[in-house]
Order: sequence, then C-alpha cells, then structure tokens
Amino acid sequence: MIEKITPVRKSILANIRIQRFTPSEHKSAYFDNFKVTVETGMTVLEALRLIKNTQDSSLTFRAFCRSKICGSCAVRVNGKPVLACSTQLMPILEDFKKDSVSIQPLKNMPVLRDLVVDIEPVIEKLSKMHPYLMENRERIPETLEQESIMSKQEHSRFDYITDCILCGSCYSACSAASADPNYAGPLTLGKAYRFSADVRDSFQGERMQAAVDQGLWSCAQCRKCINVCPKDTRPAVSIQRMRKMSIDDGIHDTAGSRRAKAYTGDVAKYGQVNKPMLPVIVNGPKGWAAVEAADNYLEKHGIEPTRQVCTLGGQSSTQKIYDKVKELEAKGENKT
Amino acid sequence: MLTYDILIVGSGGAGLYAALESRMEEDLQVGVLTKVYPTRSHTGAAQGGVNAALANLDPTDTWQDHWFDTVKGSDYLADQDAAEIMTREAPMVVREMEHWGCPFSRTDEGKIAQRPFGGASKPRACFSADKVGHVMLHTLYEQGIRHGVNFLNEWQVLSLMHDGQRCQGVTAINTQTGRVHTIQAKAVILATGGHGRIYWTRTSNALGNTGDGTAIAFRAGLPIKDMEFIQFHPTGLRRTGILVSEGARGEGGFLLNGLGERFMSRYAPEKMELGPRDLVSRSCETEVREGRAGPEGEVFLDLTHLGRERILERLPQIRELCIEFEGVDPIEEPIPIKPTAHYSMGGIHTDLNGQTSIEGIYAAGEAGCVSVHGANRLGGNSLLDILIFGRRAGKHALEYARNNSFTPVDTGQEEADTQMIASMMEGESGASIADIRRAMGNLMAEKVGVYRNGKDLESAVSELADLQEQFKTVRIQDKTKAFNTELVSALELKNMLDLAEVVAVGALERKESRGAHTREDHPERDDGNWLAHTMATLGDDGRPKLDFSPVTITEFEPKARTY
Repeated sequence: MIEKITPVRKSILANIRIQRFTPSEHKSAYFDNFKVTVETGMTVLEALRLIKNTQDSSLTFRAFCRSKICGSCAVRVNGKPVLACSTQLMPILEDFKKDSVSIQPLKNMPVLRDLVVDIEPVIEKLSKMHPYLMENRERIPETLEQESIMSKQEHSRFDYITDCILCGSCYSACSAASADPNYAGPLTLGKAYRFSADVRDSFQGERMQAAVDQGLWSCAQCRKCINVCPKDTRPAVSIQRMRKMSIDDGIHDTAGSRRAKAYTGDVAKYGQVNKPMLPVIVNGPKGWAAVEAADNYLEKHGIEPTRQVCTLGGQSSTQKIYDKVKELEAKGENKT
Repeated sequence: MLTYDILIVGSGGAGLYAALESRMEEDLQVGVLTKVYPTRSHTGAAQGGVNAALANLDPTDTWQDHWFDTVKGSDYLADQDAAEIMTREAPMVVREMEHWGCPFSRTDEGKIAQRPFGGASKPRACFSADKVGHVMLHTLYEQGIRHGVNFLNEWQVLSLMHDGQRCQGVTAINTQTGRVHTIQAKAVILATGGHGRIYWTRTSNALGNTGDGTAIAFRAGLPIKDMEFIQFHPTGLRRTGILVSEGARGEGGFLLNGLGERFMSRYAPEKMELGPRDLVSRSCETEVREGRAGPEGEVFLDLTHLGRERILERLPQIRELCIEFEGVDPIEEPIPIKPTAHYSMGGIHTDLNGQTSIEGIYAAGEAGCVSVHGANRLGGNSLLDILIFGRRAGKHALEYARNNSFTPVDTGQEEADTQMIASMMEGESGASIADIRRAMGNLMAEKVGVYRNGKDLESAVSELADLQEQFKTVRIQDKTKAFNTELVSALELKNMLDLAEVVAVGALERKESRGAHTREDHPERDDGNWLAHTMATLGDDGRPKLDFSPVTITEFEPKARTY
C-alpha cells in the first residue's frame, strides 16, 4: 500500500528566442537566443528569471505576483498573448515538437524596453471611461449602518467581468485597436459595461456616451479578446451587451447603432439584410453617394440595380429565433 | 521638486484606502507612489475573505466575538485596544467598500455573503468567490480615479526624510527614466506591504514584497516592531511557493512524505491533515529534517485517491493552479509542496492612528504594526487590517496636513542617493544579486523558518552579516538608465538584508515559543518574561538594537491557546 513517491520530472535543452529593444540604444527590435534547460514545472516567467539571473541581467520584463492575479507579466509566446507566470514551457515545446520558443512584447502598445510595453495610454483611455461606481441612492443607503441589497442574479450580470486583471492581453490581440489607435480597447469597454450593468450605479448615461465616443461601435466582434483572456472575462460579449444597452438607453444616433438596428429589423422583416439600403440607413443622405456608385458599377457590367428585397422562405423559423432570443433576454444575462 | 500634501508609498489596499480617505474632500494634493501599477499590488492575491461581524450568516455573531478570536489567535500578543478598534469598526468599513461598488458575493437575501474561516468562532469572512482581495483592490483604485488621486506608477522609494520631529518627504527613483527625485510632503504614509521575500523562493508573496517601506523607516531611525513573527503556510507549491488552499485538505487530501507515509498520524492522530496551520507546517518540516522528504526536500499533498470526478467537481481551481504553476495534474500524481512564508506580523511601530514616532509619518497595513495580529494573524484579518488602519492613517494624515505647513527639506539626501546608485552602476565585477538573494532565502528558511533554535539563529545572524558585506561589492551590469530592473532588484535586496537581520536578531532574543515563533530550545510560551513587543531600532554601530514594550491588555487575560 505505502510506496515511495518518485515524481516524473523531465528536462529539455531549449532555445528561448526573446525580442530585445532598448530605445536609447537600438534602431529597431531584434531577437536574442538563450539556451535554457527547461524542466517539468518551469513557467515562461521562471525561464525569463533564470536567463536574467544567469545569462543576461539586462533582460527586461515585468513580473510581480507570479500567481496570475496581478497582470504584470503578459507577453506573447509564439505570437499568442499569455501571462508568463501561468504558462508552462514543457507542454509548448512538446506540442510544437520543436526545441525553440519565441517570447515578444504585447502588440498595440509602444515598447519601453525589451518585453515591457507602455500601458499608460490604455490606462488613460480607461480613466476617461468613468470606470467606477457612482452611487445610486435608490439602492445604496446613505448610512454605513446598512448594506445595499443586490440579488445574486443582479450580481451575476457583471460578476464575470470583475475577474479582469487589466493585463492587456486582449488589447494586444484586438484587431480594432490595431486599426484605430483611438479605440478604447476590450478591457476598458468591459470595465465600462461592468459598472453600467450594476444596479447600484447611477451614472449610466454619461458612461455610455464615453463608451460611444471611444469606439463602442468600432469593435469588429472578431472575438480574439475572448480567445486570449487568461481570466475568461469575454470582453467582446460585454461590448455586445453594452451596445444593446446603449440603444435601449436611447443613444440611437451612431452609425453602429443604426447598422445594428437595420440588421435586426431587416432580418425580422425579410429574413435577410436589405444591403442596397444599408449605406443610407447607416450614414444618412450621404449614403446615397455609395448607393449611386454601386448602381453605376452594376449598370456598367450590364446588371439592373434593384431596390427590391425578396422575403426569404422560412420566415417563420426566423421569427422563432427572435422569440427565443427575447425569451432568453427576459431571463437575464448570465455568463453561460 | 515634487510636492504633495500627503504622499502615500504603496498602492495596495492600505495605501489606496488612505489615499481615498484623505482625498475625499478634494482640498489636498494626494499622491500615491508605487513600484508597480496600483492594480498589480499584492492585496489582489488575497483569496479567502475579510472578517466583519455583520451577522449575515450567523445572527448571533458580534464584534466582541471577533475581538476575542483575534486576541486568542494572536497568542495574546495583540494590543487589545487596537484589536477592539479593528473588530468594532469592521462592519462599517466592509459596508463602505460595498457602497463603493465592491462586488461581494451575495446571500439569498441579497446581503454580503460570509463563510467560516480558521480560528473564527462564527462564519464572518465576507468574500467574493475566491477573489476578494482582487475586487477590493480594483474598487479602491476605481474610486481613486474618480476622486482625482495622483498616481506615480513604477517609482521605487529610496529614503525617508524627517528632521527628528516632523516629516519632510521621501526620495525615490522613477524606474521608467532612472532619475532620482526629492518628493516633499507634509505627511507620508508607508503602505508598502510585507517582507515575505526575505525567504526568497520559500514564500507565497509577490516578487516585490521586499519590505521597502519598513526598511527605509528602520534606516531613518524609526522603531520597527515584532519582526520575528512570520506566519508560515503548510502547503506552498515546491517550485514557486504559491499556495494550495486549505480546501484541498478539507476535501480529504492526504499529506504524504517521500516514503509515501501519511505522516500527520505522528503529530495529530485525531485531526490528521486538518490540524491548525502552524502544527501542520511544523510537521511537514520535521519530516524533511528527519530525512523522509521527496527527492528535492518536498513532501506531498495527495488527491489522487479522491478520483477524477470529485477533483473536477470540487477542486477545479486547485487543479488548474497545480497544472499551470507546477506542471503537475493532481488527478494523476501527488502535488509536491513545502511550507511557505506567508505573512509578516511585524512592521513599523505605530499608534492607533497609524502615526509613528515622527509627526506626519504614518504606516499602515502589512508594513505597519499597531499591533492587531500579535504573534499570529487570523485568516481574513489582513484584509481587514489594511482597510481599518489605511482609513485611520488617511484620516489622521488629512487633519495633520491641513493644520501644518511643509517642513523645509534640503536636497542632500537626493544627492546621496544619486551617488549611491552611481557607485553601484560603476565597475563590472562583484557579487551577484541572484546568489546573495538565494543564499539569504535558503538560510532564512533553514535557520529562521518554521523551527528556530539559539544555535542556528546565532549562525544565521553572522551569515547575514557576511551577506551584507558581499552586497557592498554588488555592481549593476546593466548600464542603461531607463527601466533598469537589475538596479531595482539590488535596491530591494538591500532592504531585505536589513530586515532579515532584524527578524533573525529578534528571533534569537525571544526565548519562548509564541504563535508563529517556535523555538525548539524554548518550547513554551513564557508570559512572565515575554508578554512584550520587540522594538528594533538602528543602533549607532549600524546593527539593530532591541528594546521591549508592554502589551496592552484591556479585557482578555492571557490563557493557553487551544483549539
């Protein structure tokens, strides 16, 4: 019954390729290669620390809690944003069947040095988003003698977002942030939704406007943020919910909200989107220029332009989907 | 020169609460200087709960029960007036956090949820799933943004300045640029957290928990208190010291030595794995000392007998943690563990308002010592401590700064610190930071760890002095000014070496066993001689000088601490 414990611990000599850059010394980034004996249990962060301690003390990276809660150590490993502290090296080396792995700084933020990026611009965007609770006095008592009451269900609307550690992984992966430097980014919009969905908050309108102003409708819903989030906070879902909330709040006057309403309205009506009219609905009278350009193009190729949208078959199935969505919405928004 | 009415050093729960409290009326300039970004602070790592007798789960709970539990848990070394304030004000600060938006888990009635915790007679730990420290930290940061608190992110504090009576400010280096600055302040609140990293890899603490504020206060001549008391947690992961929570043992996990024996039968045949934290830590350590450890001096927490289904259903987070940080799947094999330094009970000596012996200088949280935790802290009381005493320090500093003017400060300290850094950056050869740090951690774990005795402690004190000498030869290889993390590591190591010596000297002097301090050569608590706080100040010879001051006892006469 009692037997001696002999843990299986492997080791591989691996090549760790690390992107280096010191702005005051280098014109552009380059890669350094370090040979490291990777053992069972070794994380990316441990490897970085080992290299710093034994091979090159100038290697620069951030790390603090080394237990997946502070968000300091986000880097890209083989291109994917991860937390260095909670990423095991051995399985990566085994999965890729290579003895080499690359470590680079996050994207979409300026590099300060080696693996350290400047997160200040993201923090500024966050600060402009009113990322705090403003007391709703109908829910939060004036006195500290009493608690405010919030049901489990009300709490669950935003609880999943409070896992966010502001590590920036989503911002690095975000296609909208790489296309538009002024876009607030997934984590900041997630935080905005977290408060707007909190029944104890009274600041909905101004925060919503801040979100709209900072690109609420710029998100392409590519969902890369969901794939890379180390805490499973699903920012793209929060952005969707925030968009819906903005329309419910009466912020209709944005290109994005008009497009969203045209899509849902058309599909309900026709079973498909009225594409010829979309530019006009989204951009107003200016949209006619786009419609006319399309008309000209079609005519040039001998195709008759049309304003007609046929109603697709199976309209009743579409209606069922809409009914189901309404039913789910009425039940409340949960993580699952 | 930068000036703030109030400068807070450290951006964890205590620092941010102090900042909010002193900035709330928005009439003073309040700055928070932090070596990280505020939401990175180690408060975020606290998982379990914050104690307050809200009586949401057990209507019979009272703050007096909490008070007694705290004093008993401290092995009667806590000052009872301080523990009274903390436990009496607890419900109010927890509600204030909640009113600021902190998302505590809820009861069926929609109130703040509470759970039982070790050493507590009633279920009073308010929680938010397993992330209460994290959500508290974020809530305080968010409200700080709202109220216009200034943040100096990624700055490392260097020296604390005073004229012998009143606060002048600090010097600090901006890590992003490498420049040293003088920051003048009417009041400085040191809230830099604990110093668990003096055990280097044998700690659950963040890499930066290097006791910076405590060390600069000590070097500035302020007394630091009860430093020999360090709490150990029995089940830290072998490689990183990251905690595997008590839930794993609660669910039926076995502790095995390298031979595969369920060794707790030797030490606690009734309670087995569920004995109190300090007893389990000592038992693990004994197995290692007597040669029954695994191949790398570890013992094992075995869950394999629980089976895949039960582990997946009941302990999914613990499983994930073992896979991510240790590369071990507890479904397949036992988890290698070591006792790990978890919490520093000692710190900068303060009064009930967080004020030190110098007017305008305050300390709060794990960096400070009022004392409420005495010789052993209860789970759920550290998050409470930072709220209560962060708030009190902030409030008091606010009044102080309103009623006092700036004390003149000359730039001599800035010059001295700039020179100190320049000389470390000059030259190539010298001792390695990593080697000294590792040697310090190993010797602290072996000789000033779970078990202590006079002989080992004496040798620890002399080995630490050797390491201090070696440190003088350390030269920074990285010559770039901006973002020089090697330099930051050297500054942190200097702080740790100073504090490690105080811990070792205090442990050598205290010839009794109390709470987390276990002397093999003095196994009993000795109230006749040692019901006293250890006060360490920097002596003229550059070594710590010890004095002792009485413990405040108001309500509960010391009794044997049994559970």
